[in-house]
Amino acid sequence: MIRMPLNKNARVAAFSALAAAVMVGAAYAAVPLYDLFCRVTGYGGTTQVAVGEAGAILDREVTVYFDANTNRNLPWSFEPVQRSITVRVGETALAYYTATNNSSQPVTGVATYNVAPYKAATYFSKLECFCFTEQTLQPGESIEMPVLFFVDPLIDEERRMDDVASITLSYTFFESEDGGSASSDAAP
Amino acid sequence: MSADAATHDDHTPSMWDWRRWVLSTNHKDIGTMYLVFAIFAGIIGGGLSGLIRWELMEPGLQVFTGEDTGWGALFGNAHNYNVVTTMHALIMIFFMVMPAMIGGFGNWFVPLMIGAPDMAFPRMNNISFWLLPASFALALMSMFVPGAGADLGFGGGWVLYPPLSTSGHNGPAMDLLILSLHIAGVSSILGAINFITTIFNMRAPGMTIHKMPLFVWSVLVTVFLLLLSLPVLAGALTMLLTDRNFGTAFFAPEGGGDPVMYQHLFWFFGHPEVYILILPGFGIVSHIVSTFSRKPIFGYLGMAYAMVAIGFIGFIVWAHHMYTVGMPVDLKAYFVAATMVIAVPTGIKIFSWIATMWGGSIEFRTPMMWAIGFIFLFTVGGVTGVVLANAGVDQALHDTYYVVAHFHYVLSLGAVFAIFAGWYYWFEKIFGVKYNSFLARAQFFFFFIGANVIFFPQHFLGLNGMPRRYVDYPDAFEFWNAVSSWGYVIMLVGMVLFFAVLIDAMIRRRKADANPWGEGATTLEWTLSSPPPFHQFSELPKIK
Repeated sequence: MIRMPLNKNARVAAFSALAAAVMVGAAYAAVPLYDLFCRVTGYGGTTQVAVGEAGAILDREVTVYFDANTNRNLPWSFEPVQRSITVRVGETALAYYTATNNSSQPVTGVATYNVAPYKAATYFSKLECFCFTEQTLQPGESIEMPVLFFVDPLIDEERRMDDVASITLSYTFFESEDGGSASSDAAP
Repeated sequence: MSADAATHDDHTPSMWDWRRWVLSTNHKDIGTMYLVFAIFAGIIGGGLSGLIRWELMEPGLQVFTGEDTGWGALFGNAHNYNVVTTMHALIMIFFMVMPAMIGGFGNWFVPLMIGAPDMAFPRMNNISFWLLPASFALALMSMFVPGAGADLGFGGGWVLYPPLSTSGHNGPAMDLLILSLHIAGVSSILGAINFITTIFNMRAPGMTIHKMPLFVWSVLVTVFLLLLSLPVLAGALTMLLTDRNFGTAFFAPEGGGDPVMYQHLFWFFGHPEVYILILPGFGIVSHIVSTFSRKPIFGYLGMAYAMVAIGFIGFIVWAHHMYTVGMPVDLKAYFVAATMVIAVPTGIKIFSWIATMWGGSIEFRTPMMWAIGFIFLFTVGGVTGVVLANAGVDQALHDTYYVVAHFHYVLSLGAVFAIFAGWYYWFEKIFGVKYNSFLARAQFFFFFIGANVIFFPQHFLGLNGMPRRYVDYPDAFEFWNAVSSWGYVIMLVGMVLFFAVLIDAMIRRRKADANPWGEGATTLEWTLSSPPPFHQFSELPKIK
């Protein structure tokens, strides 16, 4: 008669099933982790959110270009007021975008953003941005939306950043969905 | 070895008793069902690739014309071409190669090779198999329900990238496909748990982990990859499902999600998956090379741990499939280096096979020809893989026919040749009858020539910039596309010969020997009769 060591088998099977369950969990854990990873490393050009101004203002200058895109489902026109601003590193600057609702309905939009080159993202800090919140525009309404930002002086200490003379800040406006969002904030 | 089967086990149920198959808990019967299922799915998947080659034989639209008259309406429009490429890939991966290698040969020979009476969980084994036809039915149904607007089926490629798989395909086709892959995933995960338990707990006395045959090693590594990678696919697919139907925004930027994250999740599964497809083939080829060289395999431990290393590294190279999404150069550098490292354990395997043949008393029997064909073709595919591993080169070659040629050399030629090698190595053991080796060798030559004629020119097309997944192409690509399509015809002759071998064996029913291969065949399955008794090893064999 063959002795089937059931308990031993059940143990291995349970461990294996647990491993599979953990991997499903890991797939979902990837959502917040990916978001966190993008923010910490500036992966894909994810910019930084700053609470206070930069300590020092350096002589080095960086030209910041502004780019605007609109998802084709969003009936808005959206563009930067100025094409570029040349700022000194560490200096806080204010730029504006305008958005107009061309439809006959009130529409809520939300913007995602990143910068190019990606490697400069960790040094691009925003103090204030329309992209942090949803924007609702009444039919035909036009608004100017501010972005308050500075380029972190630490950029000057990194050799890899020596070739960064210009940074492009890009936004894409989407129609906000009323259903909940999966991750709380924008990933790249 | 006292591995002879108990002769009192004479209660083999009849072939024609449906309960023997539907309610089966016997690893050999379930293995046979997996093999039959794989052949059936292979015919459908191979037929779909025939439509692709037919369409691409000339520039312009031949098959997928979208016209409502005659043949054209039968196959639909350009969208349906994409449906066909998508389904060709999914069917070949999930319903042909995986069931044949893991479900078929794995179920048949893992218990036999480790001297076990059956799998650890025979009823779970039954569920693993019967989930597959259900899954396959859902996948086939998805081709005939609305996918994008009025167009039938999902045409977004087997990778199922959003937004094409979310907002791009609003019909139920994609939902059916998600459900199909979920079920196939559950089937494979249950199978993986079963194999792990069997291999860990049910080896015959004396068979330590370092005495296990290499095929068992290869299945062990494979099922670990399945266990750890498939749940990630299940998670990603569930996110797709909820993004599509329940208003979540995992992959939708308007809700704060990111479509690129899907690619990361998918390839975290997808890269181990390609090793899942090939690793059991490594095991099969090791046995065949050793058997027909009449030498033990060269560097057994190195071979076993090379597979472990391939499995491990397979989990940390996924982003080399997505160099073009805009990764920082440092990240690309990491993935280039990690990817190239895989060439080291793979090289160990190739050289060990050659070293096994070196100085051996080689017999070019049918399985050996397939195995040597495998080694050659897999090496060609491996070399183009190293080329593609370079992020800079891949920037130009990404999603071109060069990539198509590369992965068909390792899968369509590599994995499939390994399956046929195993098929002809174990045919007599499985079915208990001999096959006509002349026909089987003829099939090999048609396959070898045909597959090379199909896929080698695709390197040229890719290097010249012909992209994948398009129904049409500029006239400049006509010549090599025509050559490639003629290659399909050659391979089709090989396929006809495959069925000729089957029919010939069925009609002539020449009784097979327990061990047709002589002293080179040393593993436990050859100590049993052909076919083995319905229940074997009621007295466990002792391994010295």
